[in-house]
Amino acid sequence: MDGVRETLIIVPSYLPFALVCGVAAVNAGLVLPSALALPALVYGGSSQAVLTQFLQSASSLWVAVLSGLVVNLRMAVYSAAMAPRLRHLSLSRRMLGAAFLVDNAFAFMEQRRLAKPDESNDHLLAYYAGLTCVLWPAWIAFCIAGSLLGSVIPTNWQLDFAIPLAFIATLSTTVRSMPLLAAAVAGGVACVALFALPLKLGMIAACLLGLLAGLIVEKLMHPVKSISAEASPAQPKEQR
Amino acid sequence: MNSLSTWESWAVVLALGLGTFLIRYSFIGLFANRDMPAWLSHGLKLIVPAIFAAIVASGVAISNGQFGGWALWPKYGAATIALAVALRFKGNILITVISGMVALHSLLALQRWLG
Repeated sequence: MDGVRETLIIVPSYLPFALVCGVAAVNAGLVLPSALALPALVYGGSSQAVLTQFLQSASSLWVAVLSGLVVNLRMAVYSAAMAPRLRHLSLSRRMLGAAFLVDNAFAFMEQRRLAKPDESNDHLLAYYAGLTCVLWPAWIAFCIAGSLLGSVIPTNWQLDFAIPLAFIATLSTTVRSMPLLAAAVAGGVACVALFALPLKLGMIAACLLGLLAGLIVEKLMHPVKSISAEASPAQPKEQR
Repeated sequence: MNSLSTWESWAVVLALGLGTFLIRYSFIGLFANRDMPAWLSHGLKLIVPAIFAAIVASGVAISNGQFGGWALWPKYGAATIALAVALRFKGNILITVISGMVALHSLLALQRWLG
C-alpha cells in the first residue's frame, strides 16, 4: 500500500482547488445534487472549473461541455501510456483502470516506474489502485465541502502551490535526455505564452509544441532515434 | 447568476463525465488487442514531459487567470529551489513539496518585508 502512503502528501494540495471547484459548481447554477455528483463523475479539476466558468458566462451549455472536454484531451496521452499495462485485464477492469486516470496518479506512476524498473506490472497497477483509493474520495469530499460550506481555507496558505511542486519532483526524474528536456521546456513556455488562447487550447498547443521541440532536438543530436539516459539537469523552466 | 433547470444541470454533468471517460478509455480500448505502433509510443515519451511542464508553468506563473509577471518572483524562486532539491533527492515528492512550500512562504515573507 505504498500508493496510499505516498499520496497523502499531495492530498492537502487538492483542498484549495477542490473547494473553489465546489463553490463554483453551485454558483454556476447547477442544481445541488448534480453539483455534488460533478467531482465523482468527471474527476478532473480543471475541466470542472472550466465547465462552471463557461456556464456562468452564459454561453451555450454545449460550449461549456466542449471546453471541459478540450481541457481533458491530455488524458488521451495517459490512456495511451496505460494501454499496454492494462491490456491483459478484462474489459470491466480496463474500464475501471481508465476511469481514474488523472494527472497526479499518472505522474506518481511514471515516477514509480523509473524508481523501480524491475517491479512487475501487477505491482504497479496495485500501486495505482492505492493512489486512487486516496485521491478519488479526497477529491470528492473536498469538492462537496466546497459546495456545501464555501471556501473555508484562507488562500494565503498557498496550499495549491504543492501541485506544481509535485510535478517538479516528477519532472526531475522523468526528464533524462536532451529531447525530453526540450519537450518539457517548450511545453512549459508554450503553456504560459499561449495561455490566453480561446477554449483553453493552450494545454493542447503546449503538447504539440513540446512534441515538436523534442523531435527537432532528437534529429539534431542523432539521425537515429534514441531516448538515452544522458545526464541532463533540467533548467529552471519555470522562470522566464 | 443564472440557474439551470434540473434537466440541464444533469445533462451537462453527465455529458462531461461520459466524454471524459471516453477520452480516458480511448487508447486503452483501441490497443486492447493489438500492439501500439512505435511512432505513437515514441511520441508519447515526448508529450508527457511537455504536459507535466505545462502544469508546472501554469501553477507557477499564472495567477487569477493571467500571467503573473515579476510580482510572482517568490513562486519562481520557490520553484527553482524545489527543482534543486528534487534533483538532489532523486525526485522525492515529499521532500520536494515540503521544501518548496517552506521556500515559498519564506520568500513571500521577504516580499512583504521588502514591499
